[in-house]
Amino acid sequence: MIKVDQVTKTYNLSKQQKKELQTTAPSINAVNNISFQCQPGRVFSLLGPNGAGKTTTLRMMSTILGPTSGDIEICGHSVKAEPQKVRSKIGFLTGSTNLYDRLNPSEIVEYFAKLHGMDKRFFEQRKDMLFTQLGVHEFSQKRIGQMSTGMKQKVSIARSMIHDPEVVIFDEPTSGLDVITANSIIDLIRRCKDEGKTVIFSSHIMSEVDLLCDDLAIIAKGDLIYNNTMENFRTENHNTSLTEAFINIVSEQTHSTTL
Amino acid sequence: MNTILTVFKKELIDTLRDRRTLITAIIMPAVAIPFLMYGMTFMMKTIMAKEEAKKLKLALLDAPSDFMSSIDTSKIMLVDGMTMETGRDGILSDSLDAMIAFIGDFAQQQTDLKTTKVNMWYKSTNMTVKSRMTDIVEAYEKTLLDGRIEKLDMSASTIDPLDLTRYDIAPKKEFLGKTAGGFLPYMFIIFCFMGCMYPALDLVTGEKERGTIETLLTVPASRFKILMGKVMTISIMGLAAAIMGIVGMVVGVKLLPDMPEDMFEVLNNIVSTKFVLMLLLMLIPLCVFFGGILSAMVIRARSFKEAQSIVSPFTFIIILPAAMAMIPGIDMSWKTALVPILNIALATKEIIAGTMDSGMYIAIVLSLVVLAVIAVLFSHNQFSKEGMVLK
Repeated sequence: MIKVDQVTKTYNLSKQQKKELQTTAPSINAVNNISFQCQPGRVFSLLGPNGAGKTTTLRMMSTILGPTSGDIEICGHSVKAEPQKVRSKIGFLTGSTNLYDRLNPSEIVEYFAKLHGMDKRFFEQRKDMLFTQLGVHEFSQKRIGQMSTGMKQKVSIARSMIHDPEVVIFDEPTSGLDVITANSIIDLIRRCKDEGKTVIFSSHIMSEVDLLCDDLAIIAKGDLIYNNTMENFRTENHNTSLTEAFINIVSEQTHSTTL
Repeated sequence: MNTILTVFKKELIDTLRDRRTLITAIIMPAVAIPFLMYGMTFMMKTIMAKEEAKKLKLALLDAPSDFMSSIDTSKIMLVDGMTMETGRDGILSDSLDAMIAFIGDFAQQQTDLKTTKVNMWYKSTNMTVKSRMTDIVEAYEKTLLDGRIEKLDMSASTIDPLDLTRYDIAPKKEFLGKTAGGFLPYMFIIFCFMGCMYPALDLVTGEKERGTIETLLTVPASRFKILMGKVMTISIMGLAAAIMGIVGMVVGVKLLPDMPEDMFEVLNNIVSTKFVLMLLLMLIPLCVFFGGILSAMVIRARSFKEAQSIVSPFTFIIILPAAMAMIPGIDMSWKTALVPILNIALATKEIIAGTMDSGMYIAIVLSLVVLAVIAVLFSHNQFSKEGMVLK
């Protein structure tokens, strides 16, 4: 379970950043006092336009960034007080395949398993299971630098799932991927849900959201502007498509902020 | 410790598969010293032999006939018809190598037992001309002197009241340690730095640029341990570069043909177990210092290119104290013992010479350890900052 409680993330601005953003303010809030919860066995989708604060929120959940105020609890552990316990519970995957070019899939997965302190037997079982599910066995000794984007993404999935995390965080996991590779991610999200894991993912692709998500939240300019179940969202916007409904909600917020 | 070793092992494998790092940390140091030893010796010998064999063009003005006949024409070609002006111009335009002019009435001056002024023109850029011409004039002067002694019925000791014999009792090792010894530590310090530089760029900035740092920071390991694994790898690569330099030197001494006897003897003396151990004991904390400081510097860079531009000026800061040790007059003292890098260079000279003070040596090693710890803590401080780690 993920519990986001009145979280704010403030960045102090350098002279150069103030110039670029054309502001005189000493700091900006990338995320502004947001609260929501993600339940086990359900898929939570975090939506918002570019620069809304989605990645910052996910990075705070994965302890890469610390909240300026408020707190996030992952499986009962605070990201502020017990970051290492939080990290042992999460699997983190982004759309850009972040892997080491000079290592092969087996070496990468083993490296992360060791960093998670996994037992060797459990690791071998998990590796075999994930490599079979994802079809990685056939290129498990090939170096990452010689692989296609699809192959890399499969290795990334195996890497992030090797320690069997209770909570899975996906930051635009299908961004820039072809249909077949994107489909493997969608399958993974479904499997995680079926296994009772807590899943949160950010995306710009509404068809994916429609297909997978049980709950959703919309962030714009750092503010949480919508949070409900997918069922309620569909009911509230039964005459419009998801994309249109999303645009309407974001536009209303932008309009009211401007006024 | 397990986490540090896990990170270290992975980073080492990753680094050893990087061709660029292998070239700078392993291959270059291994071949640089043998290349310099053999290449420079060969080059110097070739140039000197060529200069010695060169038939010099010499113009003589008002020279006595016995002087002219004393010149070996198989090695020197006499050029006629020169005046003072055309001779000077000829030397400047390289159509002539030297000109010797006897001033005044030579025969009369010699009869009157007076001194004849002899002027010699040459270009110092022509390496052997001065010495070859001086030898000819001095040999002729000696025949004139012997003639005068005989004429005056004197013994040679009358005009030679002192017979000076010089005894240089400095051991060859000490002499070379103080003179040529400055060059070796300079090489080792540069090797260590170069060996650390590319792994630092790759393991810190490279990881940030590729975005792999983001996933690495989501594992249940402290940032300090992750950093330690990286700094260990960077330091080991720096040390490997220095060790390869030593290996190259040993192999060069033992295997390279045609090495001048003097150089062979000196290098053979230097390459002792004691020297290698004492040098490594200083280079280990130096490499950790480089590992720490380079990680701290390149962590702020967003790309490999930016990291290179940050590190480049630092190279001069490293080279300067290392090169200072080669300046005559800068010697080991309690003050210089505490100047980082300079102290290693000076200590290496003293170790080669066999004159290293043990108290000073311990102080140098301890000061380097303290410096390494400060560098690592500074690096950790930078690595802990959110803004530094993320692109």
